[in-house]
Amino acid sequence: MKKTLAFLLTLTLLMTVLSGCSHQQMPSPADPVTLNIWHVYGSQTISPLNTLIDEFNRSVGREHGITINVVSVTSSSAIDEALSASANNEPGAEAMPDLFTAYPRVAEIVGKENLLPWDDYFSENELSAFHAEFLTEGYFGNQLLMLPVAKSAEAFFLNQTLFDRFCADTGITSDALASFDGVFQTARTYYDWSDGQSFLQINDFYHYAYLGMKAYGVELVRGGTLQLDEEAFQSVWNPLAEAAIYGGICLDEGYAAARWKTAEVIANTGSTADVLYQPSEIIYPDNTTEAIEAAAYPYPTFTDEESGVIYRGGGLFAMKSNDERRNQAAVIFAKWLTEKEHNLAFVTNAGYLPVTDQAFDALFSDLNQIEKENYRSVYAAVETMLDSYTFYALPLYDGASEAQLDFEANVKAVLKSARNQYVKRIGNGEDPETVMEVLIAASLTELRSLSGK
Amino acid sequence: MKLFLKSDLPHQIQHIKNGGISIRRRFIFYIISAIVLVLSLILLLLNLFGIMNPASAQVMGVLDTQLLSFADKIERDYDKAAAHAISFSDQLETEIQNYLTENNLDFADLKNDAAALSALQGALYDIIYLNMQLAPSSGTFYILNTTVNSRSEVPLYNGIYLRYINLYSESTVNHDIALYRGSFSTAKEGNITFHSGWSNEMRTDFFDVCESSFADGKHYILSSTVQIPGTWERARYVYVPIRDQRDDIIGVCGFEINDMFFQLSKKTNDDTLGQLIGALVDEKQGVFSCQFNSGHYNAIDAGKIQITEKNGNTVFDFSTEACIGKTKSVRLGEDMFTIALLLPEAQFNAMVQNGQIKTVGIIFAVMLIMFAYCLFMSRKYVAPILRKIEQIKDSENDSEQLNIREFDDLFDYIETKSSVMEEQLQSLKAAKQAAEEEAARARESYQKALEEYELARNEILHLSEESKTEIVLEDYEYFLCNLKTLTPREMRIYELYAEGKTTAEISAIIGIKENTMKYHNKNIYSKLGVSSRKQFLRLAALKQIQDKKETLNP
Repeated sequence: MKKTLAFLLTLTLLMTVLSGCSHQQMPSPADPVTLNIWHVYGSQTISPLNTLIDEFNRSVGREHGITINVVSVTSSSAIDEALSASANNEPGAEAMPDLFTAYPRVAEIVGKENLLPWDDYFSENELSAFHAEFLTEGYFGNQLLMLPVAKSAEAFFLNQTLFDRFCADTGITSDALASFDGVFQTARTYYDWSDGQSFLQINDFYHYAYLGMKAYGVELVRGGTLQLDEEAFQSVWNPLAEAAIYGGICLDEGYAAARWKTAEVIANTGSTADVLYQPSEIIYPDNTTEAIEAAAYPYPTFTDEESGVIYRGGGLFAMKSNDERRNQAAVIFAKWLTEKEHNLAFVTNAGYLPVTDQAFDALFSDLNQIEKENYRSVYAAVETMLDSYTFYALPLYDGASEAQLDFEANVKAVLKSARNQYVKRIGNGEDPETVMEVLIAASLTELRSLSGK
Repeated sequence: MKLFLKSDLPHQIQHIKNGGISIRRRFIFYIISAIVLVLSLILLLLNLFGIMNPASAQVMGVLDTQLLSFADKIERDYDKAAAHAISFSDQLETEIQNYLTENNLDFADLKNDAAALSALQGALYDIIYLNMQLAPSSGTFYILNTTVNSRSEVPLYNGIYLRYINLYSESTVNHDIALYRGSFSTAKEGNITFHSGWSNEMRTDFFDVCESSFADGKHYILSSTVQIPGTWERARYVYVPIRDQRDDIIGVCGFEINDMFFQLSKKTNDDTLGQLIGALVDEKQGVFSCQFNSGHYNAIDAGKIQITEKNGNTVFDFSTEACIGKTKSVRLGEDMFTIALLLPEAQFNAMVQNGQIKTVGIIFAVMLIMFAYCLFMSRKYVAPILRKIEQIKDSENDSEQLNIREFDDLFDYIETKSSVMEEQLQSLKAAKQAAEEEAARARESYQKALEEYELARNEILHLSEESKTEIVLEDYEYFLCNLKTLTPREMRIYELYAEGKTTAEISAIIGIKENTMKYHNKNIYSKLGVSSRKQFLRLAALKQIQDKKETLNP
């Protein structure tokens, strides 16, 4: 009797327990998982990642009961801000996304302990498929928290249509764009030729300074401090300041691609991903348009001895969940996204570089596989740089993000001020060369002063 | 268990048929009946209150409830947006009129006047920016039926269209904005970032704007979803007309609700069903236009969506997958829209299946518990009773107590009664034994008497045979005649002699001495005329025979 009772009670208990444990460790169509993602690939334009996510949802996602739901496509700085707001539970902030693309700096905002360690879910074999340097960036201690999904390099972009018109008048050739000296000279010439239009927008002065100092064999950052007092910095600064004060360089906020539309500038340095935003036409104030061709060139050099370029790009982070199905869903998506075929489909439509060696080789083995000409031009420029440039990742240090933003703002403010003074003093009949000389020196002093604060 | 697993079921049934249902079976039967009855009542009540419905009905019930809330939110949001749009339009009409008056212009004079239109944009910028901050939207615009270039092959309309960039939450306060449409100078003077898809004037191919839209006096229009040119995004527009002093429509203004904002502001979560898919649907000439609060479904080409009714539910067939749910028709602006709340069909089916499994599991578990409870009750209450009965049967003293007052009282009573009856039984047994002994003795005496009787009879027969030859008739007649002369005592003695008693026995029976006996004998002999004891007994025996004969043959 006792045995019968015990058996029945055990059976009942087991059934109760089992009925309460219907959740499995893996997602399934019967018990689906929706993961919200914030990403940076295609804000304000077409989004190749969204297209790919849609493909995932319709195929592997559907098979596994996973839906990747794009909740925001924005800039990396906006994601930083939004993540910070969500992490701090600020009023009006959204819940933390399950997945987001961001730079490594965001790990501090979110808390490393809250992030999913990808290396727990990827085998050594799977990890070895990634480009080693790209993978290294994602490690925080011994945990891989940021999975590379796309990387970009910097390049020089040119509105070839207008530039050719300018060259035809001035005799300047695109060879001048190989070095910053040539670029700045071209900018001054273009300013004169176009009746006061800027030639170039430098997307990131911090990168410019970093690579310039590298070219002179000096580190921009030592001990977490910008080394602006170095003589090498002056060598990098003076030609930039001269072109900017002259008017050849745009110092306003905003994206260069937007200025291409109005022909405010016809060139810019920036991420290879800028190709995604490049307009195909210029719109004039009377609403007439002109079709343009865009081209990409290797990042200009500072010296003949050293050619360097920044490669950048964040990676994919996943919030660690107590529901293992969500972690598994994130991993399934990440693995799918970094498979050669999908990774190439994604990056080549967004101007990025693939993250696995296999995909990297496949891309550069035949650039003709890329349909769009401006994209092909970008990868051709990268290919050139792969042969003769050193690729640098930006140094990470405490306060790096703030230092970068401050430097950018200070450079623009100092040069804008100098430019205004230049215009005013020239207007007052002062000698342009003398004024230029004075303002270049003054701007350097002011920048060093601002950076020292 | 053995009770139910025994293979001698026919025997059991026969036993029951014969009226022999054991207390254990009867007890289990009653308990099961009671539990089933209570269970049925509970199920009936739960069903009456709608708690115990099939899983599909439960899911649909939740969807129905959530749908009401979702539809209410959408209606309120669009009403709010429309109210903002009307206010926005009023402000624009006033400001446009002011501008035209101050510059001594008529609206028609603005055409092809880039400077005037840019200046007008500058004058209206603060209004549009303010309304953008106030209204629940992802973008704000006004467009006027005029252009800087009327020679353009494509019809163009002048105005400002601002969009939020970096939209990542429903709250758009302090979000950065970008100029999607508007003049170059507007962007410069307002220090606004150009949107990647910027153009200085608007084409109307991305939303349905024309004077005829408002010809029938519509207050506001909620457009179908359209692709925003140059982006991956789609949006609906809430817009109202802008009129001049003559009440002619000179443009429209309103707000953009893109898929992303719809998604962020129209969330539908339910604790029991997880993430629900909310949709706002309209149909124009057989083509559906949908806005979902899920990016995944927004990415599906609306042209591939089939919407059908099935068993009172609505099925959205996306060709690669399907969703099932509930819909409600609402009027937004002047047009009818359908608001839907859906679940992926696979998820819905799994929920229904899980519900069925759970119901079966619960019923099974309840039955198991019921069965276990019966066994427990049987063991706890019936078994001791049976044991007790056995003990009482075996007349064991000091048997265990059941700790059930009524039963204990009963068994105590039975035990007491049993003791009394036992005593009575014993005394009856003793009486019976005594009676039996007495009977045996009586039988023995009877046997003896019978034997004596037989002896006497034989002797009498013998004497009678003898008397047939020896007795003198005169003597016998004399004997008979004088027999009545005997005194009662003498007659008694005579009878005892006739019965075969001896003189000593007769003395003892009557209680007289031997001499007295002799005296009576002498008198008897004398009265009856006999001379000897032998003659006396012969004549007495003869009389007995004669008496018997007379008795048998009267």
